Amino acid sequence: MSAASPLDAPDAPPKRTRRLRLAAWAPVIVLMVLCAIIAVVNPNFLTFGNFVRITQTAAIPLVLGIGATFIILMGSIDLSVEGILTCSAVVLSMLVLNGANSNDLGILGALIVLAIGGLIGLVNGLIHVRLRIPSFMTTLGTWFIGVGVANALLGGMAIRITDPVIRGLAVERFLGFPWGVWIAALALIVAVVIQNHTRFGRYLFAIGGGEDLAVLSGIPVARVRITAFALAGVFYALGGILVAAQLGLGNAQIGTGRLFTTVTAVVVGGTSLMGGEGGVLRTLVGVLIVVVLSNGMVLMGVPSSVQIGVQGLMIIAAVASSIDRSKLRVVK
Amino acid sequence: MANHVSRGGGLVHRRTLLKGAAALGAAGALPAIIARRGNAAEVPTLVNSIRSLSNPYHATWNKGGEAFAKSVGAEYVTLVTEGNSEKGIADIKAILAKTGGNCVVNVDPNDSPDARPIVEACQAAGASVLTQWNKPEDLHPWDHDPNYVAHISFSGVPYGKQMAETLIKAMGGKGGIVALGGIESNVPAIERKAGLMQALEANPDVKLLDFQVANWSATEGLEKTNAWLTQYGDEIGGIWAANDDMALAAVEALRADGRAGKVPVTGVDGIQLAIEAILAGEMAGTVSWDPYWQGGMGLAIGYQARTGGFDPAKEPKEHREFYGTGVAVTSENAQSFYDANIKAEPQLDWKDIWGRVSGQIQYG
Repeated sequence: MSAASPLDAPDAPPKRTRRLRLAAWAPVIVLMVLCAIIAVVNPNFLTFGNFVRITQTAAIPLVLGIGATFIILMGSIDLSVEGILTCSAVVLSMLVLNGANSNDLGILGALIVLAIGGLIGLVNGLIHVRLRIPSFMTTLGTWFIGVGVANALLGGMAIRITDPVIRGLAVERFLGFPWGVWIAALALIVAVVIQNHTRFGRYLFAIGGGEDLAVLSGIPVARVRITAFALAGVFYALGGILVAAQLGLGNAQIGTGRLFTTVTAVVVGGTSLMGGEGGVLRTLVGVLIVVVLSNGMVLMGVPSSVQIGVQGLMIIAAVASSIDRSKLRVVK
Repeated sequence: MANHVSRGGGLVHRRTLLKGAAALGAAGALPAIIARRGNAAEVPTLVNSIRSLSNPYHATWNKGGEAFAKSVGAEYVTLVTEGNSEKGIADIKAILAKTGGNCVVNVDPNDSPDARPIVEACQAAGASVLTQWNKPEDLHPWDHDPNYVAHISFSGVPYGKQMAETLIKAMGGKGGIVALGGIESNVPAIERKAGLMQALEANPDVKLLDFQVANWSATEGLEKTNAWLTQYGDEIGGIWAANDDMALAAVEALRADGRAGKVPVTGVDGIQLAIEAILAGEMAGTVSWDPYWQGGMGLAIGYQARTGGFDPAKEPKEHREFYGTGVAVTSENAQSFYDANIKAEPQLDWKDIWGRVSGQIQYG
C-alpha cells in the first residue's frame, strides 16, 4: 500500500484514500440512481410485491455469485457454475418426489446434492492445485463434464419435481418472502462470516493480493485454494436447488446463461478480477444492480432489442466507476 | 516454490491422470456416432443429423428415426452437431465415405447455409438427402435430382395465430395479454409473432399489453413475467409464449404469485411437460410438431425414394418443398394426445409419406 510514487504531491495520500472510499461506494450509488430513475418512470417499481419479486429473482444469482466471489477474490476464475448447477438440479429432480421415478428423499436429497456440488468443487480445486492447471481450463472442463453428466442422466428429457418441500422453496412464503429468499439470505450471512471472521477468509484476500507473499508468510495456499473451490461448489449446488425449485423441473439446459450473469454481478459489484479486493456484500449489490436493471427495463417499456445493449453499457459504467486506476499498472 | 519437492511426485500422478483423461476423452468421443448394425448389406444406412440429444425435441426426433429403422431392418446412425456447423458437415461426409453413399440422410441443419454443402456432398456420393427447418431460399430439391429428395418445414404463422385464438377463447374474448417471443432474428420466432398479431387484429377487444423477447429461454421468460406481474397485475388476462419452455416458466411465475391455472398460458412445440400442464389446467394449449414424425418420416420418405417407392424427379413441387402439419393440443384433446403419443410409443404408418403435407413452402 506504500506505493506512493515520488511524483505524488505531499498531500496525495489522504486524497487518494478519500477517492478510494468513494469508488468503493460507486456500485451502491449506481444502484440507488437506477432505482430512483425506474421509480420515477413507473411507480409500480416501489410496491412491496415488486420488491418481493426482485428478491426472488436475485436469490439465485446471489447464491451463485457468493461462490464465484470466493474464487475471484483469490484472483482465479470459476467457469464451472453452469456445470455444477445443472448437474445439481438434475440429480435433485431425480432424488426427490418427481414425475419420473419413485424416489422420495426430500430434504435428504437436497443435502446429497449439496455434497455432490462440494465434491465437484473439490475435484476442481485438486486438479487446479495438484496438477497446476490454470483454474480457467480446469473449471472449463468441469463445466462440460457437469452438463455432460446431466445429459447422460436424462437423455434430453425434463423431469418435473412434485416434492412439496422443494417446490415450497419457490411457492411457500414466510413473512411475505418465498423460502428461497430466506435461504439465500442465510447463505449470504454464512458467507460474510466466513469471509470476515475466519482465518480462511483472510487467507483468500492474502492470496488474491499477492500469492508469492502469501506463500512466504506461511499461508497454506494449496489447502486454501482447494477449500475455496469446494466451498464454491456447495454454493453452486444450492443455486441448482433453488433453480430447480423455481422452475419445478430439472433438465440439462437449466443452467444456460447463468455463468455470464454470475461473473457480471460479481464484477459489477466491485470485486476485482485481479483478486484481493471485493467481497460477498459487494456481490449482493452487483446482483441487485443486474436484477433491478432487467426488471426495470421491462417496467419502463424499453424495447427488447435495446435491452441487451443497455445491460452492456451498464456493466462498463459500473466497473469504470468502481476501479481504482492509480493502482493499476498493467491492464490486460 | 513451496511445492518444489513434491513436484517430481506430482509429475507421475499427472501422467497417470493424463492417461486416464485421454481414455475418458476417447470414450466421450464414441457416442458421437451411435451405430446399430442391420442385417442386409444392400439396405441403405439411415442417418439422422440433429443438434443435440440434450433437448426433448431432438431426443424424440431420434426415437422416431430409431423406430422407422427398426421397422425396415436398416442400420441406424445418429449424428449430433452440438451446435457446430463444421462438425455437422464433417460427420455427414464421414458417414458418406463409410457407407459408400448407400445411405439416407435426414438432417436438421445447424444453420441455413450448411444445407448447401451437405446436399452437394450427398449428391456427389450418390446418397439420398432430406433437409428440415433450415436451408437457403434458393436451394431447391428439384435442382439436385434425384438425390435431394425433399425439404420439410413448418410455417409458424398459422400456429402462432391458432394458439393466440385458443388463448383469447380461454380468456372469454376480451382482456389484456402479454407475449414472450423467441430470438428476434429466428424465422420461427418472426412467423409465430406474425400469427399472434393477425389474431389480435381480428380481436379488437383484446389488448397486447407488452411483447418481450425472452430468447426461447425459461430463465428469461420467468424474469419477464415477474416484471409484468408488477407492472400490469390483474390486467394480465392471458400469456402467449412462442415456445413451451417460456410458457412453462410463465406458469411458474404465476404459481409463485398464487395465480397458476387462473391465467391461461399457451406455448408452441408440444413437449411432454406442456401437455401435462394442459392436463393440469395450467396451460391452455400448445402445438406439437411431432418430432417423432420428423425423425422417422424424414427417413421413410428418403428410404422410399431410394428403394424405388417413388421417383423424386417425377413428384410435384409441393411434395419436394413442403410445410408439415402441426397438431394443436388444447384441453379438449390433451388426454387423447397424451395417451397416443407420450404414454405409448406413437404408432405411425410409415407408408403414408405425404399424409401431412400442408402446402408448398412460400418464400418472401
